[in-house]
Amino acid sequence: MLNQEELQRYDRQILLPEIGRQGQEKLKATKALIAGAGGLGSSVALYLAAAGIGGLRLVDHDVVDRSNLNRQVLHWEGDIQTAKVVSAQKKIQSFNPEVSVEPRETIISEETLPQLVEGCHILVDALDNFSTRYVLNKRSLDSQLPLFHGAISRFEGEVTTIIPGRTACLRCRYKGFVPEETFPVIGVAPGIIGNLQACEVIKYIVEAGELLLNRLMRYDGLKQRFTEFSIKPNPYCDHCGQGGS
Amino acid sequence: MSVRVYIPHTMQSFANDQEVLEAEGKNVGECIQNCINVYPQLYNELFKEKGKLNNYIEIYVNQESAYPNELSKPVKDGDEIHISLMLAGG
Repeated sequence: MLNQEELQRYDRQILLPEIGRQGQEKLKATKALIAGAGGLGSSVALYLAAAGIGGLRLVDHDVVDRSNLNRQVLHWEGDIQTAKVVSAQKKIQSFNPEVSVEPRETIISEETLPQLVEGCHILVDALDNFSTRYVLNKRSLDSQLPLFHGAISRFEGEVTTIIPGRTACLRCRYKGFVPEETFPVIGVAPGIIGNLQACEVIKYIVEAGELLLNRLMRYDGLKQRFTEFSIKPNPYCDHCGQGGS
Repeated sequence: MSVRVYIPHTMQSFANDQEVLEAEGKNVGECIQNCINVYPQLYNELFKEKGKLNNYIEIYVNQESAYPNELSKPVKDGDEIHISLMLAGG
């Protein structure tokens, strides 16, 4: 049930036929796990909080470093050396006190994820490396929870929405190990991609529009261009196909 | 017979700063080899040992994923090949 403050706060979006009061109630009833409280995590969390999502469980093991501040907009100069999830919780709750924020300062692994996703309705991939993404992907499949993927580098980014059993999963694109490296990035890239992820999450919750299902949206900031690629489930995928059975 | 091959930003410096190369070939592999014949430095960016594409390279033909067996995917006049790098950052 929406209270008077919420009806005021969300008035402009409740006016949207795609959302309305019913959609706003659905947003309030949803808890999202955001894996990663960095660049993508900052923009996804901020805009889901703005939209009135009921709960955000933020997971990250890292502390704020000065080199994060060009893009991780929930973390400010005074937060350096503070746990990212604590820093993010402080900003989000100040921004919208109606949102319940649960910080989880822990590593994301096969061991920790089952408990981390408990009680969450959706998973948001705001991670910064392939190996943890695949662990999250597997948990999405095993728990039958939708996964909203985003990734960035340089002036570029990509987004897709994964519904277990209906779409290609992240691992369907796997071709073998890729070494990790420090990625160069301009802050607007995670800003834009995180917002696209938030838009997908909102549409999924209120059942509006068309999701990026089996569609990989790539953003090229240097050309200021979006390109959509068609992807498909890989029958030999070791997470969702025959390779995993 | 001409196929447009889109080169990712990080490799364009090895292709005379061009985003799109015109190539000829019956399949993706031949078109890419055609590009490498003109711009040999592209080879090390695209391939690892034994002529296998690097794990982080993705190929799309007419904006559809060509995975798996990307290099043998047939192409025809007017097709577009996008070479793309998987992104890991967040």
